[in-house]
Amino acid sequence: MIQLSREPVTQAMLGARGIVKRFGPVDVLRGIDLELRPGRILTLMGENGAGKSTMFRILAGQLQPSAGELTLNGEALRLASPHAAHAHGIHLVPQEPLLLPELTVAETMFLGRLPMTGAIFRHVDWRDVRRRAQAVLHMLDLDIDIDRCAKTLSIAQLQLVECAKALLHDCRIILFDEPTSPLTSHEVDNLFVIMRRLAADGCTLSFISHRTEEVLEISDDIAVLRDGRLVDRAERGSFDRARLLSTMVGRTLRDIPRRESSYVTEQTVLEVEGLASEPSFRRIGFQLRRGEILGLAGLVGAGRTEIAETIFGVRRPTAGSVRLAGETVTSKPCHDLIRKGLVYVPEDRARHGAVLSMTIAQNVTSGLLERVRQSAGLLSDADETRLGTTAIRDFRVRCAGLDQPLRELSGGNQQKVVFSKWIATGPKVAILDEPTRGVDVGSKEEIYELIEAMARDGMAVLVISSETEELVRLCDRVLSLYEGELVAELTGKEITPAAVSASYLGSVRAEGTA
Amino acid sequence: MSALSDIGTPAATDAPMGRRRRRFLSMGGWELSLLVLLVVVTTGFGLVVPGFFDDVSGFLAMSSNFLPFGIVALGLSLVIFTGGIDLSVGATASLAAVVAAQLWATMGLNIWVASLLGLAMGGVLGAINAAVIVFLRIEPLIATLATSFIYTSAAVAVAGDSPPSGFPDAFNNMGSGALALGSFQFPYQLLLFIPLAVIFWLLVGRSAFGRKLVTVGYNSEAARYSGIRVPRVLAAAYVISGMMAALAGLVLSAYYSAARADMGDVLLLTTIAMVVLGGVSIFGGEGSMGGVIVAVLLLGLLRQGMLIAGFSDMVTSMLTGAILIGSIAIRNVFSTRVGGFGKRLLAFIRRPAAAGPDTNRHDAP
Repeated sequence: MIQLSREPVTQAMLGARGIVKRFGPVDVLRGIDLELRPGRILTLMGENGAGKSTMFRILAGQLQPSAGELTLNGEALRLASPHAAHAHGIHLVPQEPLLLPELTVAETMFLGRLPMTGAIFRHVDWRDVRRRAQAVLHMLDLDIDIDRCAKTLSIAQLQLVECAKALLHDCRIILFDEPTSPLTSHEVDNLFVIMRRLAADGCTLSFISHRTEEVLEISDDIAVLRDGRLVDRAERGSFDRARLLSTMVGRTLRDIPRRESSYVTEQTVLEVEGLASEPSFRRIGFQLRRGEILGLAGLVGAGRTEIAETIFGVRRPTAGSVRLAGETVTSKPCHDLIRKGLVYVPEDRARHGAVLSMTIAQNVTSGLLERVRQSAGLLSDADETRLGTTAIRDFRVRCAGLDQPLRELSGGNQQKVVFSKWIATGPKVAILDEPTRGVDVGSKEEIYELIEAMARDGMAVLVISSETEELVRLCDRVLSLYEGELVAELTGKEITPAAVSASYLGSVRAEGTA
Repeated sequence: MSALSDIGTPAATDAPMGRRRRRFLSMGGWELSLLVLLVVVTTGFGLVVPGFFDDVSGFLAMSSNFLPFGIVALGLSLVIFTGGIDLSVGATASLAAVVAAQLWATMGLNIWVASLLGLAMGGVLGAINAAVIVFLRIEPLIATLATSFIYTSAAVAVAGDSPPSGFPDAFNNMGSGALALGSFQFPYQLLLFIPLAVIFWLLVGRSAFGRKLVTVGYNSEAARYSGIRVPRVLAAAYVISGMMAALAGLVLSAYYSAARADMGDVLLLTTIAMVVLGGVSIFGGEGSMGGVIVAVLLLGLLRQGMLIAGFSDMVTSMLTGAILIGSIAIRNVFSTRVGGFGKRLLAFIRRPAAAGPDTNRHDAP
């Protein structure tokens, strides 16, 4: 066993009791109990939105819990800031830890707490910085030049530098927020070697991962979160792959209504062939037919939004082709595609989907200004009112009036306005990216009904969703994506919550694809 | 679309469908405050300062001293609406006016034909700005700063040692003359400005182009995802700004009956002040043309009143600066976008009224 710090080994046990976190009306965490023990690696697992990252951010002082308490070695602990967490020896390694690209490795490690020297002229003791940075890297057997610029390091190296930084500042509790997803399998092995050594030395480690294989390999304890609750917890050896998947998905008992009717026809309207936009995704091919609702499932970061943006012409493809109603439209600009009948409802409403400062009426017509009746070059107020009124009636938007700014509406009603804006253009194909993000539960079902009505009207719909229920509820067919590649296709009755989640969560990263 | 109307349960019948808030001349609170201020300033000077308002003709005649700024402000507003800036308006005005004057002086072109070519020249200079911004992806501030140097030196070169002067009276009238209706004198500059102001007001507030312009300025990504051709909208804004600057340059040369290469220099800063005071956000996407038009009159009349009252130009300029800071400070305090003190204050005042963690805002099924 190596001795990593000069101070006597302090062992730290971090506990969480009944942690609740609310964001507005949404409960992200609903009473989590966790225990991070010294010398052990605790893994948090769970689907998108299960609350793993939120839990970490609370442990690292970045967020304050709405209820519940943290304990350190049995004593109550209040972390007002990341700085306070650091002072208590808690260090969070972010997934892509590149904060200040121009700093050197040594400067990165001492960021915010550079040692000062000199009685009259206070200045940074660079000799001390270099000596200590070098010593820590040496202890971890890391061969990284301390004078290198942070931006020249790989993500894997940056993560290791973060580990070194934690040790340097006597942080004995190290949290890794999904460290392995951007790494190659060789880099993952390296990271695991370091993690094991830290654990052997008595450090308290915790990490987040989606990859069952590596979780089973590295963890001493596994905690599975689902919908903000801790649903399963066990020690090494008592878990296997099947149990992990079923607890993570865990909805086998819950009944999700699947719609009876299908409006799928034989007429193909969108054909995607060998589409790639490196490094996000590659070899994507599928066909979409009139009246079909096709789902794209996958983890956040699997490349689903990137595929949608590439089809929609706002991102450049590196290979492949897209055909809309028989016509090749690969990398056509999006204003062309909109006119040809392809629309995209983006995931981020505030950034891409709508102009929140504008009124409802203005947002409704913003996709089809050419169709608003004009006289002498001026938009007809009456016609805009007519279009807006139709939209808020058909889409059941709850609002005070057409002139209400969009930002005053609830998320669900904003989304309905954005939908109506695109449906009003009469598209053949609609790509909906997380159509119910930020939408309250009450409005979700209404939005599902709208999507079904779109299919019934003969539209082809591509739904990207991180919510398994949503895909099960809506789709005729589901394609699963894992790290930029299609890994599974489910049709009809095969689409169950367990099958959808398992189709991408169960994927094992193939060697050498990076 | 109509097929969608039969889904699910019918909409609540008490929903106030289609009701639209009618705002007075599509003016918001800011524009109305400016208008009130304009009335106060005008009445104040009229009552206190002898010579400010002796008769209507004399009062209107004052406008010829500041309307060239207003003409530039109309065009510059479009650029600022997009979130950009055009620092080359002064240089464009000079260059276009000098070129037009030289065409008249050396090539013997009719002064009006030369003026039209000057206007076109302004459009070309604006197009160059747009090209530098769109194709070379240079920040509008840097791009138009650079072109302003180029346009200024070009103007000096074209003007030569003895800048052209002594234009025909008909042309000079555009700058300093007035249309006589009996004893009533209506300045030609005002005759030019009024229709332009109306056109720009409608263009921004009511046309499809204006809608796109504001969308691009508020969020160019959202505009792109909505199928708006952002580069085209930007190009149009800079071309129009260039043409309006050129028009102001021509009016100035008519006013002085001479085309000097440094004529446009004074235009830039005052014009930006007018646009910003008018309530157009310097970040783009917010504001109205009505506010800009009122701000033009407000700053112009304020300056004239101060000068007539005997204050030096120095004092007047200081006051302009102070008004600008004061007005923007007031705006920021109550702006929803900046999230400053005023927003927090309002939130605090409203807080006790809302019961619980605003559950009532979310629509229950």
